Amino acid sequence: MSELSRQTKKEKKPHKETEQNLKGTFASVLLLGGFILVTWLFVFKIFLDRA
Amino acid sequence: MHLHRFEKIWLMVGGATLVLFLVVLSVNAYAMGMMPPSHMKMIDPNKVDETAPFDNPGLHETGENEYDLVMSSMVFAFQPNQVEVPVGAKVKFIVTSKDVVHGFQIPKTNVNIMVLPGHISEVTHTFDEPGTYLIICNEYCGSGHQIMAATIIVK
Repeated sequence: MSELSRQTKKEKKPHKETEQNLKGTFASVLLLGGFILVTWLFVFKIFLDRA
Repeated sequence: MHLHRFEKIWLMVGGATLVLFLVVLSVNAYAMGMMPPSHMKMIDPNKVDETAPFDNPGLHETGENEYDLVMSSMVFAFQPNQVEVPVGAKVKFIVTSKDVVHGFQIPKTNVNIMVLPGHISEVTHTFDEPGTYLIICNEYCGSGHQIMAATIIVK
């Protein structure tokens, strides 16, 4: 019974292309990118200081 | 293919970062001469002591305060294991191994080589600060690995 109802529910849902809200994803991508860049710059500065 | 506006932005940021890193790498390599410490020179590891320049290891002056330091490494020592150079000396280390893989690192500098038997490695460093610099083997080379070290005295 439950399997059947799940299937009918699935079929009822029409597939709609909606614009997703990616604001949070965008912010986390930029934060992660910024973190990688800052740590890389820090290590690169050590490398140049020791050259 | 549909791309969200934000996706386009972070793909562009990623692409720009990749280009930036390649530019930094090229400037480092070609303008500042920062190359990896190897240059395709080979040597027979069984005949290190008879092959130039390792038949005459040690410090050789090549210019004004410029030196070549020819060193061979073996279990568990560097030869020579103590050298003295004046402050500001530009030292080119020319290193090879007689037996197994060794490391050649001077802590707090960029000198860090994996010394492979059969290969000659070169790296240059300028010693601007006086002091005692330690050369250590940082590749596990056997039971006496921990005692394998040499010193450079800069004064």
